[in-house]
Amino acid sequence: MNMIMKNQTLLLFLLFAVTLLLLPLFVTNNFYLHNMIMIFFWASLTASWNIIGGFAGQISLGHAAFFGIGAYTSTVLFLKLGISPCIGLLCGGVLSTVVAAAISYPCFRLKGPFFTLSTIAFGEVIYLLSSYFRDLTGGAVGLLIPFKPSFWNLIFREKIYYYYIALILMLIVIVITQKIAKSKMGYYLISLREDEEAAKAIGINTVRYKLYAVMISAFFAGIAGVFYAQYVLFIEPKTVFSAELSTQFALMSIIGGLGTVAGPIAGAFILTPLSEFLRAWLGGSYSGLHLAIYGVILIAVVLMMPEGIVVWFNERVRRIKAKTTKGQEVKL
Amino acid sequence: MTQFLQIVVSGLLLGGIYSLISIGLTLIFGIVKIINFAHGEFLMVAMYLAFWSVSLLNMDPYVSVILVVPVMFVLGVATQKIVINPILKSPDVMQIFATVGVGLVLQNMALFLWSADYRTILTPYQSINFELGPIVFSFTRLATFVLAMLVSIGFFYFLKHSYAGKALRSVAQNREAALLMGIDVNRMYLIAFGLGAACVGFAGCLLLPVYYVFPSVGTYFGITAFVVVVLGGMGNMKGAFLGGLLIGLVESISGVYVDSTLKEAIYFILFILVLLFKPNGLFGIRES
Repeated sequence: MNMIMKNQTLLLFLLFAVTLLLLPLFVTNNFYLHNMIMIFFWASLTASWNIIGGFAGQISLGHAAFFGIGAYTSTVLFLKLGISPCIGLLCGGVLSTVVAAAISYPCFRLKGPFFTLSTIAFGEVIYLLSSYFRDLTGGAVGLLIPFKPSFWNLIFREKIYYYYIALILMLIVIVITQKIAKSKMGYYLISLREDEEAAKAIGINTVRYKLYAVMISAFFAGIAGVFYAQYVLFIEPKTVFSAELSTQFALMSIIGGLGTVAGPIAGAFILTPLSEFLRAWLGGSYSGLHLAIYGVILIAVVLMMPEGIVVWFNERVRRIKAKTTKGQEVKL
Repeated sequence: MTQFLQIVVSGLLLGGIYSLISIGLTLIFGIVKIINFAHGEFLMVAMYLAFWSVSLLNMDPYVSVILVVPVMFVLGVATQKIVINPILKSPDVMQIFATVGVGLVLQNMALFLWSADYRTILTPYQSINFELGPIVFSFTRLATFVLAMLVSIGFFYFLKHSYAGKALRSVAQNREAALLMGIDVNRMYLIAFGLGAACVGFAGCLLLPVYYVFPSVGTYFGITAFVVVVLGGMGNMKGAFLGGLLIGLVESISGVYVDSTLKEAIYFILFILVLLFKPNGLFGIRES
């Protein structure tokens, strides 16, 4: 049974991956490609947030800090020292990881909403510092990356390249999350989320595992930040370090299903097109509407299906299945 | 010396408004045991309500209180009833995100409806200044401060001496015992959230003549209120009152000597340090 389940998950994942890998053969419209890129981008971010927020239950609302550090690291290295973003990608990820470990270590002693408050404060501190050190970061004006397409510069004329980079990033994050979920670490994280004292009592080094979780999470957030910088070619503190961004990482996970592998991905696939279409449809006058709608969905999910859409959906499917098999039994 | 006195005075005048905002936040935390992440957005809504009463109904901003405060009270009660009550026993995550969601909706609806423009009002008394020796008081700031103090003190009096106030405090102390004494705890929650929002409503009206209103104005004041509440000890109202004045002072003193961007960073770092090392607040008093 377990084998079948495992194979089923694998099969579903492969189906999902192959479909998306082949999709550009049929979809060449730039608008749709852009939409898919944004979906993959958000899915990577929210899935990496889910490692610390969902599995370990440490609700960070300052995650944009790691995203922004990634974006700024590669961009500054590229603009000031001419180092290729291909290398900057790794540097961004690593620096985010290091900062995440340094910040989170002291904060992990805070519980629940107090931890969340400390992450908000740290997010703000990093945002303020990024605007303060003007020489390095360009301050509030931001940094513009000159458009010189080449592989080495990680800048491309066609969207299709970005499509594959974002897709691969998302697939890697999914695989890693799945690995964590099925490993000892995954069970440790879930146990410490449910009851930290009990987890400690049975000998789990809770601080260490929370640290691992936040480091992995920040690493991918950093890389996604580099991707963002290379895709948009413009970064400013107000956008890459914004509290709004942090909230979005978290809310997509929660709406999809906190602490599940598929949840955040589903969240991103549902919510991102919504905001992109609103933007295309309403143009300039749309500002804020998509976030207001996210907020309404968030409240509805919290009140009506706190396990998230994926679990709710599975439950429905299971019930319908149970009903139909029952019906067959009666017939027999 | 004169300059220093002037800085202290402006700091205290600024701090009064922080106190009033923070008392609302800490009241909600103390009684409902929920951190209202939408608190800043409530302030923003109050400021817009005050702004529209001034510009559409030609009210004086200080008179708009009679309209804004009841509306905010109702908004608070509604939030408690619709969003908070069902999740009182849910895990932390859900409690955090319920109010985060409310904040997100309020802020972005404001952005959508009223755009990101900064709005402000003109009052005939805006340019009046008093001089007391070498120190200058601006009329609006002084009025804001005095009214904030009066409301806070009135509020403390209400909590201390009225039946509802005593019932509220008893719920804060011990939910079960209060329930056994025949206090309708759920009703107290509604009142607490309503009063918390009403405090912010007051603050919004007082703030309008001295500040701008825009959709994300709440973010700054909301975070400041968190800082104040943590400094004063979560749920501790006197702590919040003193903490507000203290933060006002710190802000105006450091504003003179430190770069303004860095100044904010410094007080967030202070905030984190207090959270980490003095989780019961600076004053270390438990709420009675």
